Amino acid sequence: MIGLVAVSHSRALADAAVELALQMGGENPPTVRVAAGGPDGDLGTDAVAIAAAIDEADSGDGVLVLMDLGSAILSAETAVEFVAEPDRVRLSPAPFIEGLVAAVVTAAGGADLAAVAAECATAGDAKRRQLGEDDGAGVSASGTGEAAASFEAVVTNPSGLHARPAATFVKTASRYDADVRIADLDAGSEEISGRSLLALMALGVRQGSRVRVSATGPEAPAALAELRALIEDGFGER
Amino acid sequence: MSGTVSTDDLVAWIRAFRDAVHQHKDELTRLDSEIGDADHGSNMTRGLDAVVAKLDPAPANAADLFKTVGMTLVSSVGGASGPLYGTFFLRMGPALSSGDVDATALGTALRAGVEGVVARGKAELGDKTMIDALSPALDAWDAAVAEGADAAGAARAAADAAARGRDATEPLVARKGRASYLGERSAGHLDPGATSATLLLEALRDTLADAA
Repeated sequence: MIGLVAVSHSRALADAAVELALQMGGENPPTVRVAAGGPDGDLGTDAVAIAAAIDEADSGDGVLVLMDLGSAILSAETAVEFVAEPDRVRLSPAPFIEGLVAAVVTAAGGADLAAVAAECATAGDAKRRQLGEDDGAGVSASGTGEAAASFEAVVTNPSGLHARPAATFVKTASRYDADVRIADLDAGSEEISGRSLLALMALGVRQGSRVRVSATGPEAPAALAELRALIEDGFGER
Repeated sequence: MSGTVSTDDLVAWIRAFRDAVHQHKDELTRLDSEIGDADHGSNMTRGLDAVVAKLDPAPANAADLFKTVGMTLVSSVGGASGPLYGTFFLRMGPALSSGDVDATALGTALRAGVEGVVARGKAELGDKTMIDALSPALDAWDAAVAEGADAAGAARAAADAAARGRDATEPLVARKGRASYLGERSAGHLDPGATSATLLLEALRDTLADAA
């Protein structure tokens, strides 16, 4: 599993952001190291401390670094010069909080560094869509020509597919060798990738909505069976 | 003078830069409070104090000196000037790894340092950053050397050009760093980074003048 490093000017901000993200990391979350705050515990960043955090977080599968702003970015770029395996480090352009959440969930699902980085790169889109400023970004093209198996089910969770059940859905979908997609039939939505937490949260599926989950690929039947059970079980929230 | 710059001279330069930043700490912080986050003076003094604490005993050669200076700055400044000044010195070191340091070699090293800052900060001339002082200073250095100046003479020309570059940042609208959030409101203030970068070159000028 890849590791994550949270770089912020503020230790308190980074610790709280990591706590928020790890709430959605499930039983087996990725390693997340914090490098935050200045040399005297004030606001600031330290490239050497960031490099040490990257080395600690790297179990061999690479590290994605999430940063807040300004010197956090400059210090993270500088830190890459000092780490043991610079080729295994990626700096994410994602917004700090959204990126961390997306990174924890997709990393916990077993995605590799490139896949987690790609998911985080669109982490800002979900909020834009939710606010009705959708520019179509993040909604990936549907269908590969291969016939997809699918099922329809009604979401019973009181808050719909909010963060926690959405995270469970994405982690489950990511475990299978299958291209899982989901559409909100009541809202008439497009199909979105079942591996994208932010796209799924942006879908905003409400309680009582009927969704269609489809999948292609070698493990599509198994993925669909488990996802169907999850939805019908209310993701264990009842 | 011999025309070469000794490691002792370079150590003296770093100490003089520390002293100059201490002397101008309140001014740097005031400038930064107008268009930034008001920590440039305190961050730079903290970083340079940490640097000077590591210069006794003095590093054996210029490459070791600048590696120590750079690594200490990236770790102990705290703000954006840490990775920027740190990268400047980290890039200077390898450019001075062999032989005597004369005006040409020092100019080459300074250019490597400034190119490192540009690569790190992605700033261009006119963005209201330290580059606005450093870039014209380098051009002045090279022009002086081409006319036969020694290191002390080149440093004099570079410091003058840096000060002019610094002064020219006043009407500019910032396009990098915290100040860029202010947009038009950043105009009418000197850039703190260009101001401290000018101190860096003035410290070199004064050090090499004393060494002559």
